[in-house]
Amino acid sequence: MQLPGMHLTSLGAGSVLLEPAEALDPSQQDDMVVPLAKSMQQMRARQLLYDLKSVAVIDKLYFEWLCRVSAICRISGVEMVVVNIRPPAAYALAVLMEKSPPFRCALNVDRARAG
Amino acid sequence: MAKKETPAKSVNQLLIEQLMTRVATVSEMIESRGAKIFGQSNLLSIEEINDYSLEFLELFTILLQAGDHIDRRGHEFKALMQFFKNLSQQILVRGGTLDEFVRYVQFLQSVFIEMLEVDSGLTFDESRHILLLLANVFNDIVLDVFHVYLTEKESTILAQQEELRHTSTPITEIWDGVLTLPIIGTLDSSRTMIVMEKMLSRIEADRARVVVIDVTGVQAIDSQVSHHLIQMIRAVGLMGASAILTGIRPEIARAITSLNIDLSMVATRSTLSDGLKEAFRLLGVTVSAAADNR
Repeated sequence: MQLPGMHLTSLGAGSVLLEPAEALDPSQQDDMVVPLAKSMQQMRARQLLYDLKSVAVIDKLYFEWLCRVSAICRISGVEMVVVNIRPPAAYALAVLMEKSPPFRCALNVDRARAG
Repeated sequence: MAKKETPAKSVNQLLIEQLMTRVATVSEMIESRGAKIFGQSNLLSIEEINDYSLEFLELFTILLQAGDHIDRRGHEFKALMQFFKNLSQQILVRGGTLDEFVRYVQFLQSVFIEMLEVDSGLTFDESRHILLLLANVFNDIVLDVFHVYLTEKESTILAQQEELRHTSTPITEIWDGVLTLPIIGTLDSSRTMIVMEKMLSRIEADRARVVVIDVTGVQAIDSQVSHHLIQMIRAVGLMGASAILTGIRPEIARAITSLNIDLSMVATRSTLSDGLKEAFRLLGVTVSAAADNR
């Protein structure tokens, strides 16, 4: 399913993979959260796997966007797991964060689905 | 009829004349002294010493011939400086010391001063000007060589520091999916960056699930070090792995509590062995003694 700035794929058993596109603009969060929540409902998602493979660096704005998605997931009863974070992005985010992130992290999709 | 006065010779011309009349003696003195300083310690071969001595005399003569005064920005002066830089680098690379080199440069200067003593035809003023010129040129040489020496030393120290940083944090996979990271010494910002970069890459490459960070070798902890530790633990978590902190000595524990550092989000164990057991528990691995060893 194509949404503005992202692509959603159902992996079965309630897992949905979110792949952000290059066009994703975290400053336009309000325009993206409603279509995302709607799509997750339509796909009967129980777990959202946010794939950060193509995201080289996570800045404060992008982290806010991730927290916003996490909050939407929590309200919708969906577990959010961030997967495939690149080492430089993890480093930058660890330096940036003041407390633990509100979402679970996994090395890859398989580990995330295995719990 | 008035006598036509011959124009006064420049200091450079006077030195060239002296050098030309005694070139053989000067060359021989420089070679023999060079052999004494560098040859005995096998820093340079006799052929090299002779070649360098000739090259020095040639470059010095070219410098004097370039004009009535020494032009420090001229090519001739730069060529002479470059010659000494190369020579000093070669000597330092071969294990020589700066002292030996400075003694050699001072000796070269003294050869020219000795020539002045021999030549009684020079006036006091001419001798003074020649002495000043020699002192300026040879002081510049020593200063330049000293800069080269300092730069070489600094780059060696930096390279050693870099090497030490890389070897002081060995990351080992002690079990499938379990990495250990012993930290020895202090954690400053630059070292944290190197350690984190290596550790996160290893988590990705080895698909590690647990990282045991052992701080037994950390001598002291302050708010900055603890902040870096927490950053490391968070980064491990972001990669989808679990971090276990081990080896917190009583002094370090006291420092952590007095600094009000919150480690509640971190799994801690007293020893590396306990940390490994915790890693096994997280992985669901059970280790038991073989039947015949019971």
